[in-house]
Amino acid sequence: MATEERHNPFATAQPAGDGTTLDQQERERLRAQPLWRVRLKLLAGTLWNNWKLFTENKIGLIGLAIILFYAGLALAHPLLMGRVWDPLIYDPVIGFDPLAAPHPAPPSAQHWLGTDPLGRDVLSQLMFSTASEFILGMVAALITVTIGTSIGALAAYFGGWIDTFFMRLADLVITLPAIVLLIVLGGLFTLDLPLLALVIGILSGFGATTVIIKSQALTIKVRTYVEAAWVAGGSHWHIILRHIIPNLLPLTFLYMMFTVTDAIFAEAILSYFGLLNIRMSWGLMIHTTQSAGYLLNFQTWWLIVPPGLSITLLCAAFYLVGRALDEVVNPRLRKR
Amino acid sequence: MSETILRVENLTMHYTTRAGIVSAVDDVSFTLDEGESLGLVGESGCGKTSVANSLLKLLADNAVIKGGQIRFKGTDFVPLSEEEMRPYRWRNISMVFQAAMNSLNPVYRVGDQIIEALETHLGLYSHAQARQRVTELFTMVGLDPALMDQYPHEYSGGMRQRAVIAMALSCNPDLVIADEPTTALDVIVQDALLRQLKTLQEMIGMSMIYISHDIAVIAEVSDRIGVMYAGKLVELASADEIFHHPVHPYTVALMSAFPSVTGPKRELQTLAGEPPNLLYPPSGCRFHPRCPFATEICRQQEPEFKDHGGGHYAACWHPQEVTV
Amino acid sequence: MARYIAQRLLQIILTFFLFLALSYMLLEAMPGDFSQLFLQDPKLTLAQREAIAASLGLNRPPHERFFRYIGSFLRGDLGVSFQYYPRPVVDVILERAPRTLMLFISSTVVSFYVGFFVGKLLAWRRGRVLEYITTVGGVTLYTVFTPWFGLLMIWLFAFTLDWFPIGKFITPRLWRDAPVEANVVFNRMLLTALVVSIVLLTWFILTRRIDTRRRRVVHWGGMGLGLAVVVGIWGASGLGPYALNILHHLMLPVLTLTLISFAGTMLLTRNSMLETLREDYITTARAKGLPEKVIRDKHAARNAMLPVVTSLVFSLAFALSGGVITEGVFSWPGMGEVLLTSAVVQDIPMMMGALIFTAIFALLAHLVVDILYAFLDPRIRYG
Repeated sequence: MATEERHNPFATAQPAGDGTTLDQQERERLRAQPLWRVRLKLLAGTLWNNWKLFTENKIGLIGLAIILFYAGLALAHPLLMGRVWDPLIYDPVIGFDPLAAPHPAPPSAQHWLGTDPLGRDVLSQLMFSTASEFILGMVAALITVTIGTSIGALAAYFGGWIDTFFMRLADLVITLPAIVLLIVLGGLFTLDLPLLALVIGILSGFGATTVIIKSQALTIKVRTYVEAAWVAGGSHWHIILRHIIPNLLPLTFLYMMFTVTDAIFAEAILSYFGLLNIRMSWGLMIHTTQSAGYLLNFQTWWLIVPPGLSITLLCAAFYLVGRALDEVVNPRLRKR
Repeated sequence: MSETILRVENLTMHYTTRAGIVSAVDDVSFTLDEGESLGLVGESGCGKTSVANSLLKLLADNAVIKGGQIRFKGTDFVPLSEEEMRPYRWRNISMVFQAAMNSLNPVYRVGDQIIEALETHLGLYSHAQARQRVTELFTMVGLDPALMDQYPHEYSGGMRQRAVIAMALSCNPDLVIADEPTTALDVIVQDALLRQLKTLQEMIGMSMIYISHDIAVIAEVSDRIGVMYAGKLVELASADEIFHHPVHPYTVALMSAFPSVTGPKRELQTLAGEPPNLLYPPSGCRFHPRCPFATEICRQQEPEFKDHGGGHYAACWHPQEVTV
Repeated sequence: MARYIAQRLLQIILTFFLFLALSYMLLEAMPGDFSQLFLQDPKLTLAQREAIAASLGLNRPPHERFFRYIGSFLRGDLGVSFQYYPRPVVDVILERAPRTLMLFISSTVVSFYVGFFVGKLLAWRRGRVLEYITTVGGVTLYTVFTPWFGLLMIWLFAFTLDWFPIGKFITPRLWRDAPVEANVVFNRMLLTALVVSIVLLTWFILTRRIDTRRRRVVHWGGMGLGLAVVVGIWGASGLGPYALNILHHLMLPVLTLTLISFAGTMLLTRNSMLETLREDYITTARAKGLPEKVIRDKHAARNAMLPVVTSLVFSLAFALSGGVITEGVFSWPGMGEVLLTSAVVQDIPMMMGALIFTAIFALLAHLVVDILYAFLDPRIRYG
């Protein structure tokens, strides 16, 4: 008791009723629980703290708000199609409104964002495309993170020729402009959405993400708890899976956000240049406008502004969230 | 003694942090005469460096001087703006920093970094003259003048520290503040450097403030010693007095924590506990949670920093009369 | 430093061969056959078809074809373009590459300079409102859908303000009686730019050591004099109006590409500056009583530049991507535009040629950045 107070005189300033200190009570309580529950609690506590740090940065919140807005649009589309909108008129791909002619028709009460040159509702196209953007982004990000984390951890842990090979590969992927490669792939293959997600995931997984995660893994590798695990006879896999990878997770989560931005952007570019086999997307909406010859006709702004703005906003939103997370993960950037 | 050049009165400095306000320097007062050397000693985190930085108003963005005066030759620094402070910095008061390893800019030649100060303060624009002065300075601190055209990463730790000292002396300042100047160096280099600093100080006749956590180092080079604890100056007296008649229990504890080579053999004692978290400083005397002599009054009332005879100041309710 | 550069050079050559191998694997993995498209012409008889296939080495095993591929690359033979038949791919690249270089280099230099300058100021004055505006604005510019942004630029500067032409390389009407071809004029412009920058760089290096107070006058005077000489020579040659016409067409794509890529440098510089400002040598500089501007520019920004230059490698790839898209939107007849059209019409030799060109260019740019870095960081220069 006396030594306890000497070691940390201020945390234990108020003795509880039964003579033990709050600190000790807390410890007893923790000891009584199963280990997983303690871990879960600690995790929840960390998440809550990080969330508080995240909300301090208004920029991240702006990004989150935009993401939620578009997620709302994506969810609302099937509901609207099922209940409010007539599929014959409002279907994003095969719909046609004979009453609103001539097409493209400017925004009206029936078509809030007007119709495209083929007589389809622009808002419906916009909302329909949102879901695939999210799915594309998430799938690509998951692939990236899986590849980046495992390769990064392996390269850092084993070093040697594994490291050399993957770092040269990463060098190549980083140096080559991704869009150029994707355009070539679009010319050689018939790219569709799942394939695109795979390609983007692989590209960014083997590129910058690996390098950054590897350098982080290197710093983790030399920490005392990894050495302790090693001395205690932990196998390579045990150390990588239980000690290195869990500590890389915050960083990988951060890089997921940037991959989502890249994926959405790449999809839009490829659809815009007509190199992607897709039914409907924001990029394709601009492509349609271009092939119908309305691209430089600035009176029909509703054909270009909604998809262009949406691509920009959603890309920016994920990027902003990524930056805000960066400040959470990387304390050096934080304001005091 | 001679004229007083620096008079610090009731200096109080706060840091605003995420967790709350940290009072890093609380009501600190002392004076410094021309040619005198003052040592400031205390555990890490007790506010020594904050005092040093406040003297030049080198404050972090979140630090603010809450009150008090810093009178240098009659001018109070506290109300001065950054731009008004500039002419005093380095020209009148210069510093040798704690982390000498990193206090040189890695992308410029060491000589050029000194010349830059000469240009700014002495208007020494001629390259030849400036290099002449750097040669003098390098010789003075025992560095080969040919080194001035090299980059910091080509220097060893001891050489860098000498270069930093040369830089601090470059504009003939009235006062040099040496903040843990030798901490990062090995013992032999440390000792040589300290002696050299002391010699240089006496040769040039400038005043000096030494800051260290090591009371043995301080004792070697200081005329007077101030002991700091938790942002407060708890004892201030001549080096001799501090060593032979320490008044504050903290000073006593500090001294018994260091071995003495020349003195009689005795058991080394360590002080239990850690310095308080300055976010929530203890009530009354800040030392009371660790003080073996603490009583009720220590917990409730702050002791006054007063003269215990012959310019021996201390802030304690139970002044010790021990002889070490 | 020679060792460092040699090492980087070796790594880059290694990377390039990795790239060649991967690009060959792509061709092999392509559905159908490399020259199926080429041989689709129904007028060809089966025997003719087989003869062509044999001459292309299609009946050989894969590893032999791979060495053939590498071999013809090393001989500088990238095949014949389908869409510009019978022009060799290398020929098209040689004609188009300077235009892309001009667009890319000018926008990269300008965007780096502006981005660095703004980022530096942002970190120095951390005002809340200003910071939000510039961060959100910067991120928006960085992530903006490039074709859409190009369209906005055309709408604003070409349609509404009528400052610049809408797209393309030259105004055909003006060039009808021109004494020389547009490409000749353009290559001369490129040469001029190269010579001027080398001369100015030498000038700056030579005058580095003179008296601080006079240096500024000498620098700006030298720059002014250089520009005056260039304007004089072009004016006397009689090609001035033509050069101006090309320059006029170049402005809007450069502006667009600059705006897109400057934001990245800006945000990065800001972060790097914020970290540098916490370094001990910045405190030393403050303690030395140096003027704010000197601390900011000479001490903080100079060090903050190092990580920014390192990440130039990332931004180069980003700017190259942006360049391809910008060329597409403004129909600027460079490599990017060729790449796009050949991807759409499946002109595979041309496409692969453009890809290889991009790879070589990107890797060389990588090397240039590495050398630049070595010069900027004395720890490597004298390491």
